[in-house]
Amino acid sequence: MTPSRNADRPRIDAHEKVLGRALYAADQPFPGLLHAMTVPATIAKGQILSIDTAAAVAVPGVVRVFTHGDFAQIRTTPAARGAYGQPGKGYQPMIGPQVRHRGEPVALVVAETLEAAVEGAEAVTVRYAEEPFSAEMDDSLATPEPEPVSQQASGDAEAAFANAAHIVDVEYRHPQQHHNPIELISTTAAFEDGTLRIYEGTQSAAAFAGGLAGMMGMEPQALRGVSPYTGGGFGQKNGVQEQSVLVASAALLLRRPVKLVMPRGQLFHTASYRPHSRHRVRLAADGDGRLLAGIYETVQQNSRYDGFASDHGANPPRLYGYGAWLGRERIVRVDTQTPGHQRAPHEHPASYATECAIDELAGALGMDPVALRLANDTQRDPLTGKPFSSRHLAACLTRGAALFGWDRWTSEPGALVAANGDRIGLGVACGSYKAAMTPSVTTLRLSANGQCRIATSGHEMGQGLRSVIAAELIEVLGVDPGKLDIRIGDTGHAPQHLTAGSWGAGSAAPAARAAALKLREELAQLTGAALTDEPVHAQLARTRRPFLEVSVDTLPLGKDRQAIEQLRRGMPVVTGPEYPDFLAFSWIAHFAEVHVEPSTRRVRVRRVVSVADCGRVMNRRTAESQVRGGVVWGIGAALRETAESDPRFGGVLNNDLAEYVVPVNADIGAIDVDFIDEPDNRLNISGVKGLGEVAMVGAAAAIVNAVHHATGKRIRHLPIRIEDLL
Amino acid sequence: MPNSQGKHRLETTRRRVLKAGTIISLSGAMLPTTGLAQQAGPQPSPENGVTVPVSFRVNGRPAALDIDARASLLDLLRERLGLVGAKKGCDHGQCGACTVHMNGRRIASCLTMAAKAHGRDVTTIEGIAGADGLHPMQQAFIDHDALQCGYCTPGQIMAAIACVKEGHATTPEQIKEYMSGNICRCGAYVGIVAAIEQAAPQIERS
Amino acid sequence: MKPLSYVRAGTAREAIDAFVAAGDGARYIAGGTNLYDLMKLGIERPAHLIDIADLEGADRIDTDGDRLFFGGAALMANVAEDPVVSRDYLVLAESLSKAASQQLRNMATVGGNLLQRTRCPYFRNGVNGTYPCNKREPGSGCAALGGLDRSQAVLGASEACNAVSPGDWPVALMAMDATIELQGRDGTRVIPISELYRPPSQTPHLEFTIGREEIVTGIAVPKTAAGRNSVYLKVRDRESYAFALVSAAVALEMDGDRVGQAHVALGGVATVPWRARAAEAFLRGRTLDREGALAAATAAFADARAGRHNAFKIELGARTLADALITAGSKSQ
Repeated sequence: MTPSRNADRPRIDAHEKVLGRALYAADQPFPGLLHAMTVPATIAKGQILSIDTAAAVAVPGVVRVFTHGDFAQIRTTPAARGAYGQPGKGYQPMIGPQVRHRGEPVALVVAETLEAAVEGAEAVTVRYAEEPFSAEMDDSLATPEPEPVSQQASGDAEAAFANAAHIVDVEYRHPQQHHNPIELISTTAAFEDGTLRIYEGTQSAAAFAGGLAGMMGMEPQALRGVSPYTGGGFGQKNGVQEQSVLVASAALLLRRPVKLVMPRGQLFHTASYRPHSRHRVRLAADGDGRLLAGIYETVQQNSRYDGFASDHGANPPRLYGYGAWLGRERIVRVDTQTPGHQRAPHEHPASYATECAIDELAGALGMDPVALRLANDTQRDPLTGKPFSSRHLAACLTRGAALFGWDRWTSEPGALVAANGDRIGLGVACGSYKAAMTPSVTTLRLSANGQCRIATSGHEMGQGLRSVIAAELIEVLGVDPGKLDIRIGDTGHAPQHLTAGSWGAGSAAPAARAAALKLREELAQLTGAALTDEPVHAQLARTRRPFLEVSVDTLPLGKDRQAIEQLRRGMPVVTGPEYPDFLAFSWIAHFAEVHVEPSTRRVRVRRVVSVADCGRVMNRRTAESQVRGGVVWGIGAALRETAESDPRFGGVLNNDLAEYVVPVNADIGAIDVDFIDEPDNRLNISGVKGLGEVAMVGAAAAIVNAVHHATGKRIRHLPIRIEDLL
Repeated sequence: MPNSQGKHRLETTRRRVLKAGTIISLSGAMLPTTGLAQQAGPQPSPENGVTVPVSFRVNGRPAALDIDARASLLDLLRERLGLVGAKKGCDHGQCGACTVHMNGRRIASCLTMAAKAHGRDVTTIEGIAGADGLHPMQQAFIDHDALQCGYCTPGQIMAAIACVKEGHATTPEQIKEYMSGNICRCGAYVGIVAAIEQAAPQIERS
Repeated sequence: MKPLSYVRAGTAREAIDAFVAAGDGARYIAGGTNLYDLMKLGIERPAHLIDIADLEGADRIDTDGDRLFFGGAALMANVAEDPVVSRDYLVLAESLSKAASQQLRNMATVGGNLLQRTRCPYFRNGVNGTYPCNKREPGSGCAALGGLDRSQAVLGASEACNAVSPGDWPVALMAMDATIELQGRDGTRVIPISELYRPPSQTPHLEFTIGREEIVTGIAVPKTAAGRNSVYLKVRDRESYAFALVSAAVALEMDGDRVGQAHVALGGVATVPWRARAAEAFLRGRTLDREGALAAATAAFADARAGRHNAFKIELGARTLADALITAGSKSQ
C-alpha cells in the first residue's frame, strides 16, 4: 500500500478545542489543590544572605514557604534546565544560596488560594550580596569561549575569494527573542494511583518521568509526565523548567497536589529564549553569478553554565552549490538564564543573515535574486558530497514566483509605487530544515464497532500531530475520524520522545502507518484472505473478535533497537539530516510584498507567498496553517520582536505582551501557501518530511529584502522599526 | 445602558483570620455544572483575605459564593467554578485568551475583579454551543482551521462572536482591527478572519 | 496584593462618603483596567476599593446641547460609537477606538482613562527594587534617564522623570478644549483638562491635580465645526493594540481655504497630553500644503529634547502631525 495524496480534512482535535473542552495542564481539576507562587531574585548575580519568611508564613491561607534550605537534596543532572543533556552543565535555582540570573526563583510560597500565594510571595524579604555581572555579550565582563564550538569546511574558501568577480562582506545582527506561547508555563504535581503525576504543557513528557525523577532521587516509574495538549511550545517547553522540580518537590513534601502558573513577567527570566547573535557573511561569485565560496562566522550569546550549542552553520552551505565553504561558530558567556531552541532555532537567524547577503550579492551582480538562486541550485550537499533524499527547491522558487507575480520585480529599489503613494517592495528568500526522525513505540487497537485507539510517542502543541496520525489511520484502515482516540504526550500511555525539531510528523506518521499495516496483516492472517476495500473494522467484526491490538516499535533510518531502549529511558534519540546514503531536508521559498508609507515609514506586509517541499502533505488544511504560522513568526522577527535589556541591571525590561511586541491580527495580510507534495519515500514509509520549522526559515529574510527593495535601505539588524527607515 | 446594577449594594465582610491550612466550606455556594460534565468539579477552596459575596449568572445558571475580594473573574471561573475554557495567557489584559461576555459584551476576565460580576450575566465558551450542536462561529473555526494549539481559541471565539454582534465584522480590515485584542502566537490570523467572514451572516447583530 | 475590601457605590455622594469613611488606603475603581493591572504588579496597594463604575447616571452621553457631555463612567467603547461623536468628532472617536482592545474599551471608562498611569517600563517593572523610579518611589532616581529611553518623552521631561503620558483620549480632549467635572466632599468643580495634569518637574509622583476623594463625574467638549475636519493619527510599533510612539490630534476650523483656529495636541511624545500651541499659531491664516504642514509640525517640536534612543520621535512626531494636518484639511474640501 503506497501512500496516496491526502485529502483536506478538519484538524482532528479542533472540535474539542472550539468547545473549550481540551484540558491543558493548568486546567486539570484536583480536590484539595494548593496554589504556588515564586519569589523572583531582584539581583542579576550574587548570594542570598538571608530570607525572612515570617511575614509570608503569617499570611492567612499560606501553607508553607520553601527556600533553598528545603531543596538542597535536589540534584542538578543532565536533565536540568540548560544542561541540554550534558553532565556538569545546567542550573537548578533554589538548591543553594547562589543567584545566577535576575528573576530566578528564590522562594516558593504554597497556599490554599492563588490570592494568598501571591500575597505571601510579596511578603518574602530577601537580603543579597551582589556580585559584578555581564548582561549581554558586548559587556566587558562577558566571556568569549576561546575556541569555536563548531566548524564546517569544504574546499579552500579563502583561496576562492582571491579569484572572485564579486564579493559581499556584511555583518547582520539578530536580537534576543522570546517564544511567548500563549499558554503560560504551569506545573501541577499530584498523586494518583501511587505515582506522582506531573502536568505541564510540555514537548517532552518523558523529561518528567525520567529527568525529574533523577533530579529528585526517585525511580523513573514513580513519576508520570502528562501533557495531552500543549498550548504552543515553539521550543520553550522542550524540557524540565526551572520551576518543575520545585513544584514536584513541594507536592511530595506537603502530600497534596500543588499548581504553579508562572506569571508571564517571570517567564521572561526563567524560561528559555533565542539568544542574541552576530553573523558575518562573506560570499564570492564569478561574473555569471556562480557561488564560488562562502565564509560564515557567527557569535552567539550563552549563559555561563549552559550546554546549549550553536548550530548556525549547518544549513546555509547546503542551500546552494557553493564551490567552497568555511563556517565557524563561537559563543560568549554572560550572566543570564540559559537560552534555548526557539522555532527554527539557528536556521532562522542563519537564513536571515545569509539570505539577505545573497540578496546583496544579487544587487552587486545586477541579477534577479530568483535567477541567482536558481542558477546555484544543487542536488548534492556541498559539504559531504552526498545527494539529497529529495529536493524540489527550484520548483518551490518557480511556482512561488508565478503565484506571487514576481515578474513585477524591478532591479531598481523604490521603483514600484502604490496608488496611495506607498513604496512597494518585493523580496524573496529560501529556507531549509533538516528532515529528522526519532523512534516511536505504538500500540494500536481497532474494535469491531469501529472504535480505534492509538497510543504512541509525540506531543500535540498545535502543529497538528494528532491530525497527521489520524491521516494514516484513516487511509490505511478506513476508520471514522470521529471514532479515533489518539493518546499522545503521556508517559502513562507510551514512551514519549522530545517532540521538536520538526521530527514529529516524520516519526509519528510512519509509526501510525506501520501499526495500521501490521494490523491489516494480522487481520488478513485471521481471515485467511486478503482484505477488501471495506472498512477494516467491518472485516474484523466477521471474525467475531471484539478487537484486534498490535504493538510496533518504529526506528528511524540508520538506528538499531538500542534506540528504543533509549526512548524508553526518556533520552532523546534523533537522526538526520545525514543518513547513510543521503542528506534529508525540507525546503521552502518565500516571496514577500511590503508597502512602506512615504512619511511615517510604517511597513506593512501585504502579501506573502510560500511554497514548501515537505515531502508528502499529511493534511493540507493543518499544513497550510503551519506554514502561515511560520510566516507570521517571520513577520514578527523581521518587524516586531526584540527583548530589551538594560546592561546596568540585566534581565528583560519589556517582559510582558504589551511591550514585547508580537504580531496581532491587524499586522497580517494575505499568506498564500502551496506545496510540492512529492512523497520522500527514501526517508520513511509515509514519505513525510517536517514542516513546522522550515515554514519560518527564510521568511524574515524575504521581508527584509522586500523592505530594501521598497526603500533602497539595507538594514542589517532586526527588528526593522520605524526609526531605521525615517 | 442605564445603571442597571445601581440598586445592588455589595460589601465585603471581614472574616476571622484563618489559621494557615484550615479548610472551611463555602457558605451558600451553588456551583454550576455546565462545563463540568466530563470532570469531577474542584472542591471549593477556602477563601482568604477579605471576602465579598458574589451572586451572578454564568451560562444561564445562577452561581453564588463568597470570594476573596482580590480575585479576578478569570480566577473565579477557573479556580472556583471549574469553568476552565477561558484561559490565562498574561493576566494583564494584553492577550485576550481570557475573553468572556458580561451582559453580552466581550471583556477581559483577567482584568475584571470577580466582585464586578455580581448581579450580572456571564457567558463563557462552555455556554455558547446550542443543544443541537456547535455555535456557527465554532463550526467556522473548524472549517477554516482558525486555530492550532487551541489555547487562545476560546478567547478568540468569544471575541469573534462579539465582533459580529457589535457590527464590526463588515470587512476583513475591520475584522482584523477588532480582533487585534486576541493574540494567536501560532499565527492562525488568516483563518480567524476567514472564519468570522463565514459565520457573520449566521449571527444576529445585537 | 494585600487583602482589600470592595464596595459598589450607587451614587457619587455615596461613593465619596464611603471613601472618606474608609480612610487611608481607599481608592476608587471604575473599569479597573489600569488600577487592577497596577495592583497585580504591586505598584498600587489599595486596602479599600469603592467601585464607581455603576454610579447612577454616570454613563450618560449627551450630545444635544451646545456641548458634548460624557459621564465619567461612560464606557470608552460606547463613546467611540456614539453616532454624533463618530460622525462629527472623529478625533474623539478615533482616539478611543484606537486605544487598547475592544475588550478593554468595554470595561474602561472615559473618566478613568484620564487618570491612566504611564507605561514607562522602569515604572511598571521592579516594584521590588530592581529599577529606581521617582514616580513609584519618590527620591529613588530615574533609571529611564540615560537608560533604554526609546519610548520616553521628548517634550516636558524633567531631570527627575521622562515618562510618557500614555493616553490617546486625553490628547484628543486637550485639542478640543475639554473641561472636566470633578465632584468632591465640598461639591462640584470644573477645570480645563489642561489643568488636570502636572508636569513631572521634581515631583513626578504627583501626576494629577484631582483631590484624593474627588471623582471625575463628567467631561464636556464645546461643540465646534472643527470636529468635522478632525483626525486622530496614531503611530505605534504594530498596527493595533499598542500604545502610541507618536500620535496627533488635529481639528481645524477653516476660513475658506485658510486655517482659522487649529486644534492640535500630541501624544506618545510628552510627559502630559501636549497642546501644540506653536503649531496652532503658525497655521493661523495659512492655506494647508505639505510644506506648511511640515513647518507647523516642526514648530511643535521646537523645544523637544532627545535622549539616547528616542530622537526619532521628534522627526516621526513632526511627520505624523504633518500627515494629520493634511488629512484634517482635506476633509474641509
